[in-house]
Amino acid sequence: AAAFERRVLRRAAEHHYLRVRLELPDGGARPNAAQFKQLVVTALRELHGEVGAALPVDVLTYEEKTLSAILRVISSGLVKLWSALTLLGFYQNRRCAFRVLQTSPFLLALSGNSRELVL
Amino acid sequence: MVRFKNRYVLAEVVSEDPRCRQCIEDRTLGLAVRDAIARVHGDYGLACCSISFTVKYLNAYTGTVLLRCRKDSYRLLCSALPFVRYLESRGQRYPCFLNTLHVGGTIRTCQKFLIQYNRTQLLRLLQNCTTEEERQCIQKSLLSCSLTEEQSQSGDEEEDDGTE
Repeated sequence: AAAFERRVLRRAAEHHYLRVRLELPDGGARPNAAQFKQLVVTALRELHGEVGAALPVDVLTYEEKTLSAILRVISSGLVKLWSALTLLGFYQNRRCAFRVLQTSPFLLALSGNSRELVL
Repeated sequence: MVRFKNRYVLAEVVSEDPRCRQCIEDRTLGLAVRDAIARVHGDYGLACCSISFTVKYLNAYTGTVLLRCRKDSYRLLCSALPFVRYLESRGQRYPCFLNTLHVGGTIRTCQKFLIQYNRTQLLRLLQNCTTEEERQCIQKSLLSCSLTEEQSQSGDEEEDDGTE
């Protein structure tokens, strides 16, 4: 019989991907992609300073209609990004909130969401 | 959890302006360092480093400063020290920078380092002397600083550099 070998890599992925949605309860002007990225960087700068604002964060996709986006961040900066998004309260003096829908070290895992399964 | 461990950061304030020396105070320096931490590390960094943050020792003549912080956040503090670019007091702003000399776990180790450092600095000042009277001045102050039985005042760390 062939020898069975299992390899487990812990913390091997270099990037983490987050699917987030920005909630703007008042029906005002929606931010475009550049303003969205500016908002994320501002959140990082408020909570983690210049070091946090320099974290390499990428907005991979952005839909202005639903205000949802997929962000990519280096794995060591996931905690900083997530905490900064959680604690952001205002966009242009309007109340807002970030909801993190999915997160995974693999981009492919964000394509399916078992929470939205219709059974 | 047995005890809270602190880290003591020994730094010196270097400035080209001689008037900066009179505005080196513990409150202004503490505010300047905290402001730099807030800029570099944000609200989280400021809160982390402020837990046990004080200016423990300050010598305006030599510009020596001893800061204390928690062991968990001393790296945040040390990385923010180069971003202190000026000291502000009474509406006056003097450009300066902080040189980190030593990071120790106790005040005693920092004092031992400071004594050693001041000794080497005095020797270097003696070498860089330009005029003969400066040389005489430094030699006199070196020879007068000694621990004897009666004089409890003179200690190794309170030496004045004779050039200024």
